[in-house]
Amino acid sequence: MLRYSAKQLLNMALTLFAVSFLVFALNELSPGDVARKVLGPYASQSQVDYLTVQMGLDRPVLVRYAEYMGKALAGDFGDSVVFRQPVSALMFDRLGNTLLLAAISFAVIVPLSIVLGVLAGMRERGWFDRAVSVFSSMCASIPEFAMGVFLLGIFVVWLGWLPGTSPLRSDTGWSLWMQFVLPVLVVTFYDAGYLIAMVRSSMVEVMRQPYIRTALLKGMSFHGVVRRHALRNALITPFTVILLQLNYLVSGLVVVETLFAYPGFGRLMLEAALTKDIAVIEAGTLIAVSVTMLTQLFGDLGYMALDPRIRV
Amino acid sequence: MTEKLHPIVEKAGREFADGKLERREFLRLAVLLGVAAPAAYGMAGLAAPAMAQGMPKKGGIVRIGMRVQDISNPHTYSWIESANSGRQVLDYLTVTGIDNVTRPSLVQKWEATPDLKTWTLHLRRDVTWRKGRKFTADDAIWNLKRVLDDKTGSSVVGLFKGFILTEFDDGQKDAKGNPRKSVRLWDANAVQKVDDFTVKLNGQSANLSIPESLFHYPLLILSPEDGGKFGVGSDGTGAFELVEHEVGKRSVFTARKDGYWGGGPYIDRFEIIDLGDDAAAQVSALVSKQVDMIYQGAISTLPTIEKLTHIQVNSVDTGYTAVARTHPIKPFDDKRVRQALRYATDNEAVLKGALRGLGKPGEHHHVAPVHPEYADIGYLKRDVAKAKALLAEAGYPNGVDVTIDARPQPDWELLAVQIMVEQWKEAGIRTKINVMPSAQYWENWTKVPFGFTTWAHRPLGTMILGLAYRTGAAWNEANWSNAEFDKLLTEAEGYLDVEKRRAVMAKLERIMLDEGPVVVPVWRAVFNFSDKKIKGYKIHPSIYIDAKDVWIDA
Amino acid sequence: MTEISHDLAASRLASASLVGAEAADAGPLGKVYSVVTRSPLATVGATILLTWCLLALLAPWVAPYPPNQIDVALVADPHPSAQHWLGVDHLGRDILSRLIWGARTVLTVAPIAVLGAVMLGIFLGLLSGYRGGMIDVVIMRVGDTLLAFPKIILYLIIIAKFGASAFNIIAVITLSSAPIIARIVRGVTLDIKNRDYVAAARMRGESAFFIMFVEILPNARGPLIVDFFLRLGYTTIAIGVLGFLGVGLPPPDPDWGGMVKEAYGMIFVWPHMTIIPSLAISSLVIGANFLATGLREAALDG
Repeated sequence: MLRYSAKQLLNMALTLFAVSFLVFALNELSPGDVARKVLGPYASQSQVDYLTVQMGLDRPVLVRYAEYMGKALAGDFGDSVVFRQPVSALMFDRLGNTLLLAAISFAVIVPLSIVLGVLAGMRERGWFDRAVSVFSSMCASIPEFAMGVFLLGIFVVWLGWLPGTSPLRSDTGWSLWMQFVLPVLVVTFYDAGYLIAMVRSSMVEVMRQPYIRTALLKGMSFHGVVRRHALRNALITPFTVILLQLNYLVSGLVVVETLFAYPGFGRLMLEAALTKDIAVIEAGTLIAVSVTMLTQLFGDLGYMALDPRIRV
Repeated sequence: MTEKLHPIVEKAGREFADGKLERREFLRLAVLLGVAAPAAYGMAGLAAPAMAQGMPKKGGIVRIGMRVQDISNPHTYSWIESANSGRQVLDYLTVTGIDNVTRPSLVQKWEATPDLKTWTLHLRRDVTWRKGRKFTADDAIWNLKRVLDDKTGSSVVGLFKGFILTEFDDGQKDAKGNPRKSVRLWDANAVQKVDDFTVKLNGQSANLSIPESLFHYPLLILSPEDGGKFGVGSDGTGAFELVEHEVGKRSVFTARKDGYWGGGPYIDRFEIIDLGDDAAAQVSALVSKQVDMIYQGAISTLPTIEKLTHIQVNSVDTGYTAVARTHPIKPFDDKRVRQALRYATDNEAVLKGALRGLGKPGEHHHVAPVHPEYADIGYLKRDVAKAKALLAEAGYPNGVDVTIDARPQPDWELLAVQIMVEQWKEAGIRTKINVMPSAQYWENWTKVPFGFTTWAHRPLGTMILGLAYRTGAAWNEANWSNAEFDKLLTEAEGYLDVEKRRAVMAKLERIMLDEGPVVVPVWRAVFNFSDKKIKGYKIHPSIYIDAKDVWIDA
Repeated sequence: MTEISHDLAASRLASASLVGAEAADAGPLGKVYSVVTRSPLATVGATILLTWCLLALLAPWVAPYPPNQIDVALVADPHPSAQHWLGVDHLGRDILSRLIWGARTVLTVAPIAVLGAVMLGIFLGLLSGYRGGMIDVVIMRVGDTLLAFPKIILYLIIIAKFGASAFNIIAVITLSSAPIIARIVRGVTLDIKNRDYVAAARMRGESAFFIMFVEILPNARGPLIVDFFLRLGYTTIAIGVLGFLGVGLPPPDPDWGGMVKEAYGMIFVWPHMTIIPSLAISSLVIGANFLATGLREAALDG
């Protein structure tokens, strides 16, 4: 398992390297615009030229990439052109906010999905199963933006119970936890809808296994069988899926963050992409890719630990 | 009035008395040439606008929803939003009000020589920096010289080119290998210190609008001790102190404790909350009272805002617009095709659909009714049959297929484009819309063959024509060139007399209508939203926001 | 936009349950037809999808108005009426007509993107699994690198760079989905390539091409069909999200996500402009999901 981890980490480093070059090259296909971006559309060309030289943007791409990587390895990811701040400071602040939202959502989604999924899959095609299946398909089929706008209409405009935006300041008349309710709700609806279906399918599959049937035929109580035999096996497949949700919760929250003016990582990446803020795109992509690969690694390791039959 | 008037003011006064000069232009001219605003209003026979709505109350917090940008280099600001952060702490030398009249600020009084080449600026003597030092001529000169240095990268340079700045070949090559032009002060004594509270600008040519140029938004007066940088705790002569600033999140300003020289501030605290670019998030924040104001309104949220009883819509007519402009390449190289484009456009419908009627219909030339020298040459009525005929004459009896580039923000622009495209279709001009993010659009705005470009409000019609339509001008995005137009424009710029300018302007406008490269669908009003409890706020045509003027009356 | 994690896991489930469960008698379409008629869930899903397909196909005849016809005067009262059954939008365009024409856009872009991904994925997966060696290593590494990008970030980078057009959206979805499909196909290929009938084909001297596409590929069609419909659903959402973030298909031609984006600032006064296209997106996704679920259940039943 140690060897496997080491190999995977090495793989990860290689992938990160490839990704960093890819993103850098993609954004450098049209250089020379960075200084223009800093000075705005109304600056004169001579002013732009000054800044281009001053920022060292007139040098070849490979030289700049090498310099960038050198600095990045030392923890300096350069400055954001739009925010004119070190990327690291900007990134960790936003990432922290997103992780907070992700953690709260995760804490709601996982127990909810497991409970509903197991209860539904336990008795396949029973009324509860049908109800849960329809509910979860519905949830997973409503795009986050539609759900978000809908909930805004009800809870903010109509009822006035919750704040419409979540700038994460407690001094704007709404407590912090109130500001989390709507974003978490939207994420939960969408993501739990999907996870419930996953847990349910896995449970259904396990319940069809011969050894479960045998146990039941031997006269063991239904709930005893579920608790002692089915549950553990039914959660092995969803385990990886659950871990993979971390990806979505880190990188995929852009819609929710935009909708609720939540100062998070996804919104930062959206703005960086639209303004071609290269340093932010680059660092953000590396972070997102690392998160993906780390969760995959942990997923595989956990999978091995849970299911001794599997050797990766 | 014991002081001697500038000869131009005297002459203008006579013209005004003879009814040849409009009040508004006379007012502007008199003030620019050193007559104090109240006196000028008096001379024009107008009551000075009442600024106050009842007695201001002290105390409270005002929160505004606006982008919180990097504000560390005031002299290179290229966004109104950053300037709106900076101006709470820093002052300008002059201030142009919502009535388009420029008033004293750190400069208490100014005079121009009769040839308009030398301007004397008398500074206030009662201004202190928050950290205790007295504000003097050295501070003003340091700032002026810094913004006028090409290496600083300030857009102020463009306004002073020709006046005290001169272009020279700096020996370097630009990216294309051509000799590069830089600018420098034309004379070592161009910015001259007369005494501790007097500065002289010695120009090489006449310039009428120096007081207005001093209010160009990056020309904030910084303390030289801060070395051109600005941030939390930076010194300033303004009404507030910046105590917190997180880019993308929020800024917090607190009222200056030792008192402000210019009246106000009334509120204790001013906060800027970054709500992103999403218009609906701004509405949500207003609805749940997380902010009291929105910096600039989006048209898509207007129907909602109108339903909110605690919010009011502030709006003002401006010379802001966006133009559908063509390059002289097929099919737009034929002026009949450009005319067809204009005849196919229904400006009233664009105004109604894209701006919900906030503004005025455009007239397909780039001089707005709010400009002093605007000449009313009539309104071009939509005529689809004529547009079709023109196309056929130009050799396109089956119409043309073109693509227009546009950007998604502000949202009215894309609405306007969609409406026009539908109108053009009826005339056989089949147009595809290509939307690119704003940042990308500004990288390509002069290069795209057919695009929809925003133009900001500028005080004079001649300014905008000179920037955008003169042969070879840096921002002549249409690559348009018309010798007669250039000649007439230079003539117009030479007249101080607004009636003479108007007569030439009518000719310029007709040329644009006949063969100009643009469709000018609307003159838009700018608008924003504020809670009704906020008093003393009036929207500025450039959406400059001064927190020192507002107070809260719950 | 959860597909990055969703579809990976979905594919695992799809392949886990379907390989080998496939009956080899009827052709794939016949099989789908018989399953659809047996499973109520699949029937509902197929009905929804077919209805939208029909509407899209017949758009010029069934849509009451031209989809981009602007009538600003109608905005005074945009609510549903006898003339405009679903009301008009903020420019006075008939929402029903825009929905119907918009179905054309969605039902072209999403299936083409997914089909593109399926074809590319099949090709790479077969090659990778059948040939093995360096080819396998390279294809899988490149695929993993692409998969490591969170999808939304990959979309944003590419679309911000090359612009938002139907072609670019199709390209980016194809590129980001193909590696997962390649994995499914590779898995099946590895499982099957050593079976007797494949060895027999090799003995007969069949070309590698024939073996890959005729002998091996049909075994993967079960998981692929389920995956196709699941992916169709998520791609519809993805296109909607891109539209909502302002990097979707360019106006004025109706696109459901774009319709939501344009009107959602007005949800507080004119909710129908937002809710109706949202429902349209959801119905399509639900249809695709139901069909996928039904097909899987039927396959499990044997």
